[in-house]
Amino acid sequence: MRPVSTRSTGVVLLWLLLAGFLLLGALPNQTASIRLAGLSVLWWYGGVLAPVMGALVAIRWLADPPPAPPRDE
Amino acid sequence: MTSVSRVLAVWLTPVALLAAPAALSARAADGLWLGLTLTLVPLIVLGLEAGRPAAPVGPGRAERASLFPVVILLITVGVLLWANIVLAGDVAAWLGAPRWQGIVLTAVAGWLLTAWQPLRRTAPLLLSIALVAAVAPLLQVGWAVGLGPIAAWDRVATQAAFRFPPASPWVTTGRSLATVHGRAPLVFDEVHRLTAPAGGVVRARTLDGNRLAEIEWSLAPGQSVTLRAGDELVPGGAVRLRFEADKRVPGAPASGIAWAEDPPRRWLDRLGLLVTLLVGAAALLRAGLTIRLSRDGAGFVAGGLLLAFVWAQAWAIYAMLQSPDLFLGGVTLDRLLELPGAALFAEPWRRALQAFLLVAGLAAFLASSVALRERLGALDPTGGGEIGRDPGLWAGLFGGAALASLWPVDPWALTLLALGGAGCALGPATLYPPSTGRAGLATTAGLVGLVVFATFAAAQLRGAGGALLGPAVGYPALVGAPAGALVLWLGRGRVG
Repeated sequence: MRPVSTRSTGVVLLWLLLAGFLLLGALPNQTASIRLAGLSVLWWYGGVLAPVMGALVAIRWLADPPPAPPRDE
Repeated sequence: MTSVSRVLAVWLTPVALLAAPAALSARAADGLWLGLTLTLVPLIVLGLEAGRPAAPVGPGRAERASLFPVVILLITVGVLLWANIVLAGDVAAWLGAPRWQGIVLTAVAGWLLTAWQPLRRTAPLLLSIALVAAVAPLLQVGWAVGLGPIAAWDRVATQAAFRFPPASPWVTTGRSLATVHGRAPLVFDEVHRLTAPAGGVVRARTLDGNRLAEIEWSLAPGQSVTLRAGDELVPGGAVRLRFEADKRVPGAPASGIAWAEDPPRRWLDRLGLLVTLLVGAAALLRAGLTIRLSRDGAGFVAGGLLLAFVWAQAWAIYAMLQSPDLFLGGVTLDRLLELPGAALFAEPWRRALQAFLLVAGLAAFLASSVALRERLGALDPTGGGEIGRDPGLWAGLFGGAALASLWPVDPWALTLLALGGAGCALGPATLYPPSTGRAGLATTAGLVGLVVFATFAAAQLRGAGGALLGPAVGYPALVGAPAGALVLWLGRGRVG
């Protein structure tokens, strides 16, 4: 079994961000079209929140760990 | 930093960069989905655990297996160049220059970067130029409009109708109908008088009772014709037409509210787009490569993608607010490289900002062409990346793409075709790699995926589909990629 790495965590979070958009669009009564502070809920999520969160997830979880320093003999 | 800037430049070709604002203008929710997937999918693909590097070229079956990704990516790069050179031709035609001039300029500039040794590693510089040259006009437009992006969005989303502004070139001087090549029909919602300043032939389909009739008028210079609500103008004619100010734009959404609302459930279409971009990104960014991202590198890629999406949103909003004539006949990518708001800036400032936009487009294209060549060269480790530097090969590729671009096609459809085809051929084996020494299985899976993809893509070209097969025909990767993955799974099972 593959070990769960920080990269896997990041990839799962990115998938969740994408899934969130689809779920928001599927809410009943056009909930995603409700306006909040000038933008629709869907636009706040798909245009602002999810992309910004995606960038933060990439910075926090997608980077490879720095190489281990060489050990002195 | 070179490899992360290459990732950005390979993914964010000018066509991909403009596809998001075009989709956002056409329908807000679909555009958001496209922009979000374009932003997050490369990060998902880069985040997958590192695959094995390209197998060295060896004799027999192994050699054939290692040639497969090279051939697929070579074709993909050719089609991506084609799509972007088509866009250059469209932009030239839209701005009033002969189409061939845009095609020749971009193709020759792209090829020169291949042939001239010192210019081969210029992708980061070109990306920086594209960024500055694209952001400067956006900031200027925002400042001139006097509204922030959120206030501008609110203004667009509350418009009662999208109407021709009095300063629009379609109203003041008129434009040739030949430049309208969107997919939306030119159906009028109200009585509209059209004037042909230089005369010409105007064709329209009119509804006479229950009977549809096609009528043709030969207009003398300055003569007008009046169309009624429900009449449809037949596009494609070379006649220059002037529209009336403050009348609804044919092809525009009914209102700002209609534009902003989420259309009825389109799950499969959205899934199709997601699968196409996912496998396409896997093929383009990861197949045969091991990319190790530092925290700075991850931040650079994520920041670049985020910046591109933010630019796309703001540009689409200001363009719709200032130039609702963008909708005439359907939003096409080339129109988004024209500075919006004909009355916003005086000359020569307007011309300077327009030049900035064109420089941004050309720099983004050159960065992409450099990065695509480097990407292909990285698949050839034993040849020292020679395939990415062969002037003869690239002259043929740019020349072929330029010739093909003389035939106008939809550049975004072409890009999706390239990404979907490459994705079905290489994506499954990249995302779900077979065990070491089974390169032949990856090739078989790729061929099966490609054949299934090509079958459904052919059905798309023939206009086939229907309710059940519609999404699969619209996005052939939706069936091609699972077919390739199934072959990989069956092959693994047989070994197990």
